[in-house]
Amino acid sequence: MSLVHANADDMPAPTGHESMIDRFIAGERRKQRRKHLLHRLLAAGFGLFVLLVWHVATTYGFVHALIIPTPLATFEATGRVMSAEYFWPNVWVTLQEILWGFAIGLASGVILGVGVAMFDTVRATIYPYLVALQAPPKIVLAPIFITWFGFDQASKIAIAVVMCFFPMFLNTLTGLSSVDPNAIKLMRSLTAGRWKTFRYLLLPNALPIMMAGVKLCWTLAVLGVIVGEFVGASAGIGYLIYAMNFQLDIAGVFSLIILLSLFTLVVYQLIEALESRIIFWKQL
Amino acid sequence: MNTGLIDGRHITKVYATATGPLVALDDVSFSIREGEFISLVGPSGCGKSTLLSILGGLEEKSDGTLVLAGKHHDAPRPDLGMMFQTSVLFPWRTIRENVRLPGIILGLDKKQQAERCEELIDMVGLKGFGDRYPGELSGGMRQRVALARLLAHDPRVLLMDEPFGALDEFTRETMNVELLRIWEKTGKTVVFVTHNIGEAVFLSDRIFVMTPRPGRLEGIVEVDLPRPRTMEAMRDPRFADHVFNIRRMLGVDH
Repeated sequence: MSLVHANADDMPAPTGHESMIDRFIAGERRKQRRKHLLHRLLAAGFGLFVLLVWHVATTYGFVHALIIPTPLATFEATGRVMSAEYFWPNVWVTLQEILWGFAIGLASGVILGVGVAMFDTVRATIYPYLVALQAPPKIVLAPIFITWFGFDQASKIAIAVVMCFFPMFLNTLTGLSSVDPNAIKLMRSLTAGRWKTFRYLLLPNALPIMMAGVKLCWTLAVLGVIVGEFVGASAGIGYLIYAMNFQLDIAGVFSLIILLSLFTLVVYQLIEALESRIIFWKQL
Repeated sequence: MNTGLIDGRHITKVYATATGPLVALDDVSFSIREGEFISLVGPSGCGKSTLLSILGGLEEKSDGTLVLAGKHHDAPRPDLGMMFQTSVLFPWRTIRENVRLPGIILGLDKKQQAERCEELIDMVGLKGFGDRYPGELSGGMRQRVALARLLAHDPRVLLMDEPFGALDEFTRETMNVELLRIWEKTGKTVVFVTHNIGEAVFLSDRIFVMTPRPGRLEGIVEVDLPRPRTMEAMRDPRFADHVFNIRRMLGVDH
């Protein structure tokens, strides 16, 4: 009994309460941090494990070096390739192709997506054909495009455009169409016309889905360009990979694949960073 | 004959459906005076939301005449304002920017609108929330923003489609009191759709009781509770009488 009294009188309740909450929160944070660290360690550990398997399998003759090079050989090849005279001009060729294909593919997808979404006549006229064109895998067009646009950059850009166009078109159309019917009613009740409705409601509302399309298109643009360079080219990273493969420089091929992947990933993350700024309200 | 602010005569709405024509509104006639608070009450399918859309000029009627302020009315117009069950706030715009939207769309004077919208945000009890985004607000607060936006372009008639229908009971009652306070201050004409009979009695001057299949105006109830109304009105014996009468008109007493 006296103990209860002593507690109630000697210890101001709020302070004790607050420090208890502080301690609790600090504990929770510690737990979170520990969990986070553990997850990172797990991921890093698995990566090291794969590297180890790769190393053992290739160094001790389980897999022939002509099929899979050792990690060390790949690392050395990366240095060799990157310092080679021919490397940067070829990077530049491919980079231009990817960026042009990506940009033109996005722009055409957005423009036609907006056209089909906003005008019934445009939809009725071209939508069936756009869907029908989507049916064949775009890669089959690569040889034809080489024939049409030649061995140079134009044919690779064309392939990337064709790869990017449809996903961007469809995501634009879907984004502009998936809107709260009451929001449309609100805009109509305010006597907003087609373009005001587009500017203030439809376009911002479509941005999350459109940004998903942009990310998808980025990887497709890289894919389209590299495939195009495989099929027929006299320069570019795809051409280098093809040529090195032909010369049985497998370590060189591996290093180019790794560099290409890193590049694609870095740009992808840049797009994601941009995305989280553009559609900031999704995180609220 | 009748010279209200809004006069509807023999309004009929038929939808063509796969299973044949569906009569959503069957020969509905009414007259609404300026400054009146009208509720449309009835179960789902009684055509109350359809009637509201027709009043808003958002839907065509199949037959009948509708006159607003002496003119035939069949298209949206800026002296009407609409509010919905969901707040329909644009998540990429701040609270302030959402309330400013009607003024921007209608091209109203920017300076006046800026002042008015601040006043409205204060009036709905959201002072200091102007720079927040809708995603940071609770459902009740979002409906408050929607209420401020409804008033932003100073419309003469407020068309409200179950505006508090998605809120919890306590928040809804608070919003009812707030709405009455604002209505008494602004003197707007209100047409308020609800399926909550108590809410309709508490708020309205007159209640249009509607029945489904086909959507008909079953009768009009005059609510003789004194104004200004507070929560006390719910203890008035007449309140319960009205609620009971409307239930009986809707055929839910047996």
